[in-house]
Amino acid sequence: MNLDDELRAALRPEDPSPGFAERVIARAQSSRPPKQVMPRFIWAAALAAMLAIGFTGAYEYRQMKAEKASRDALIALRIASEKLNLARDKVLRREN
Amino acid sequence: MTDDPERFEDLVREHQSMVFSMACRYLRNRALAEEIAQDVFLQLYRKLPLLESPDHVLHWLRWVTAHRLIDHSRQEKRRPQSPLEDAPEPATADPASMSSDPLLADMLRELVAALPENARIVMILRYQEDLDPMDIARALDMPIATVKSHLQRSLALLRDKLRDKVSPKKGVGL
Repeated sequence: MNLDDELRAALRPEDPSPGFAERVIARAQSSRPPKQVMPRFIWAAALAAMLAIGFTGAYEYRQMKAEKASRDALIALRIASEKLNLARDKVLRREN
Repeated sequence: MTDDPERFEDLVREHQSMVFSMACRYLRNRALAEEIAQDVFLQLYRKLPLLESPDHVLHWLRWVTAHRLIDHSRQEKRRPQSPLEDAPEPATADPASMSSDPLLADMLRELVAALPENARIVMILRYQEDLDPMDIARALDMPIATVKSHLQRSLALLRDKLRDKVSPKKGVGL
């Protein structure tokens, strides 16, 4: 008898019980962390924030345009007033 | 390596016999061996994306299984121990029909399972996995001299135990 051969025969690999691989795979799949699902309220909050930013931007833009138009109107009035003053001075000088 | 479930399934089918048999020979308990083998594969499932090649997977499985078994055995050590010298005498086989005898095979499995932890895993890797001492040393991160010493001492112990079971006049050479 050769002890090496007998040990090889005695310790020959053997299969686990049937269905072992399926059991391992089922456990592996159940241990997988669930996909991160973003809750609905986070979507709603994100949408509300975007709308708020949009409306604020639009309001600011309109406000800025109104201020610019008002400044332009004042400049135009000032120019017109200066022209009228010049014309009045010329008329007064001729009469004298 | 990918963490594709089909690839993982292939790996389980390819290596289940090796991992389960290591555990089964080491523990001599099929249910516990299957539980530990499942845990090893679940660990593989999480680790798979980091393993680079089939050889890496094989080496990793041997390493993890071996260390898992040794750790398990050390935890169990708190319970009463039965070293090889105190192991119950295995059933006597008829020496005339000892070669490839199922009784002898069972006796050898029992004697291997009674070896100290490191010697036991070295013997399993040597005779189940057919690894040479250098590969065993690499698989267990153990000096090669230690591996050779475990093998020599374990074989001597097994020979002594078996010789006790065989009547001298039959003259079975071990």
